Amino acid sequence: MKKIIAVIKKEYKIIVKKKSFIIMTVLTPVLMAGMMFVPVLLMKMGRTEKKIAVADYAGGYYQELSAKPAAKKEVKKGGIDLDAMDSPQMPEEAGRITFQAVTLEGRDAAALVKEFEQRVLKKEIDGLLLIPADVKASRQVSYYSTSVSDFTTIKFIESTLRTAISKQLLLEKQIDPTVVDEATREINMETFKVKKEGTTKSDSGMDYMMSLFMIVILFMVLINYGQMIMRGVLEEKTSRISELLIASARSTQIFYGKLLGIGLAGLTQVALWILLGAILVSRFSGMIDAAILSFLTPEIALYFVVFFILGFFIYAIPYAFIGAAVNTDQEAQQFASVLSVLIIVPYILGISALQNPNSALTVGASLFPLFSPILMFMRITAALPPLWQVLTSIGLCILTIWGLAWLGAKIFRVGMLMYGKKPSLGEMLRWIRYK
Amino acid sequence: MSELALSLKNLVKDFDGKRAVDNISFTANRGEILGLLGPNGAGKTTTIRMVMDIIAPDAGSVEIMGEPFSEKMKDRIGYLPEERGLYRKLKVMDTLLFFGELKSMKAAAVRERGRRLLKQFQLEGYEEKKVEELSKGMAQKLQFIMTILHDPELLILDEPFSGLDPLNIELVMDIILAHKRAGKTIIYSTHLMEYAEKTVDALVMIDKGRKVLDGTLAAVKAEYGQKFVKVQYEGDARFVGGLPYVRSCRDSGHEMEVELDDLSKCEQLLRDLLGKVAVKGFQLSEPSLQNIFIRKAQEGKGA
Repeated sequence: MKKIIAVIKKEYKIIVKKKSFIIMTVLTPVLMAGMMFVPVLLMKMGRTEKKIAVADYAGGYYQELSAKPAAKKEVKKGGIDLDAMDSPQMPEEAGRITFQAVTLEGRDAAALVKEFEQRVLKKEIDGLLLIPADVKASRQVSYYSTSVSDFTTIKFIESTLRTAISKQLLLEKQIDPTVVDEATREINMETFKVKKEGTTKSDSGMDYMMSLFMIVILFMVLINYGQMIMRGVLEEKTSRISELLIASARSTQIFYGKLLGIGLAGLTQVALWILLGAILVSRFSGMIDAAILSFLTPEIALYFVVFFILGFFIYAIPYAFIGAAVNTDQEAQQFASVLSVLIIVPYILGISALQNPNSALTVGASLFPLFSPILMFMRITAALPPLWQVLTSIGLCILTIWGLAWLGAKIFRVGMLMYGKKPSLGEMLRWIRYK
Repeated sequence: MSELALSLKNLVKDFDGKRAVDNISFTANRGEILGLLGPNGAGKTTTIRMVMDIIAPDAGSVEIMGEPFSEKMKDRIGYLPEERGLYRKLKVMDTLLFFGELKSMKAAAVRERGRRLLKQFQLEGYEEKKVEELSKGMAQKLQFIMTILHDPELLILDEPFSGLDPLNIELVMDIILAHKRAGKTIIYSTHLMEYAEKTVDALVMIDKGRKVLDGTLAAVKAEYGQKFVKVQYEGDARFVGGLPYVRSCRDSGHEMEVELDDLSKCEQLLRDLLGKVAVKGFQLSEPSLQNIFIRKAQEGKGA
């Protein structure tokens, strides 16, 4: 047991003290932070100070538009101001809009449009809103802008005007102003994602991005740590340290110690990521999209750890086989690329799994132990699969690992001391039968 | 407790149908230095690997300290493989810690003894340096420290002198002797018989996988008698090989080892030499191991 610990300590020390380990540990949360903050920042920078000219032939509507409290409000996620609830909300995604009244001075609408078309093109203003005198009857307004697909802005103008007209009509009918206010109160719609473990506020686009991002990380660490173990074994073999190791301890102690040591180093990295992520989320929650906040649950972190551990052993042991069986880096890379395909397949399957997490193909593939570390995790991020499926996949993975570990120790023992020629598959099978 | 540190019985190993080790048996007493001698490719390394349980023999058995090889035994042996390697990215002290703990040492003991040995090997101050920063000679020293770090009862060194500079060879010799004085057993293989001659108590000669000779150094030399004369000279002494009373002659250019039919012929040899070459030195000697080996190898061929 002591000898296993010695091996674990050595492997762990070598990896954790590497520069690449430190860089990756820091860089990944930075990337993650980027993912979290950039959408909000873009929203802020891209949409600020939209200037819309209002040609209010009907009168009174300009005041109605520019008086909206939310229009001047700083974008603040999640902080829905209750005082502003009784009138249409300036959608936060629309950023700030400044309305400017156009002095009409009896100018005819067609001429006005002509003039403002030029100003819109010159980007002096972002748009012109034309409210005809008969708007109350016709319910017809016109909006001229280079971008007419800005739905949030358009929706906001529409609903503000509709409310204003309704209010006016109701007030003309001598209805109590408080009743009018109540009757014209805007409806606020939020989208919710229904999940087993609890319904959360969500945004499917963001969810998809986050799932993809987490899986890319999982995929990267699995390949990275797998290749690390392969290179480690190969180094021991080519530098002939293996002989010294075998002369000092059991080959199983060395093999399992190596797996555990490198696995622990990987786990350390994952734990640091989660810790840094948790700090980011708790410190800057105000600046992060709510969809992301709802995605990064402790549960997801737990599953990430579980499937990292399972995936690590499932892929690291075959990588160790390769390191022990071959003699040169080139040979190792050849075999390793075959193995990488095994990791890429679930990744590719998974991209479709994100859209359709419960299709028969996805469910089946996610239970296949070589695929489940990535695919089952992917399904979990998309929509929690039935618990029995999660547990079955974990169980199958553990069985597979048990088998691989047994096989790996044998191949390792013989391969480590076999120098020179490349073993054939038949020979490797014979190794398994050695005592 | 067995008096034998090591006992090999009828070891056989085939590689791809070729017999690498052919029925080798020998023993090593406790507290002695045993030399495993033979040219490259004679089967020395294969024999040692079987002793260390790195490869399994096809037949025969090995006993160490009177017991068959076991996992526990590994902690009592210091093994220096023929081909050496270290973890390049690991620091010197971390390397010692790893290999020490792998031999069931406590970390504190490794540090304490490791420091002492580093000092003894003039590697003081390199504790926190990475192995890849060491020179080749330093790495070799580190390798030796690793071998003796856990104060093993039995040292098994495979070609300990190969690749060493003269200073490090001296150092290794000193260590071997120091261990012998401390009552440890040392078994080492080498193809450099001159070095063996100076240190071993007993020897085993191997050629082409077979044992050709074994015994104590004294016994082996006695068997070949005091019929050798060592001559240091200047000039052309090729004629000596043709003299009727000379059985064999190994000429190195300025020194030759002459085997006579009879020790009484040595005066005549001196007379024959004088006048033809400038004799710088002339003494009766024991046969060198090199000479004995060559003779044995030739006998083997003739048989």
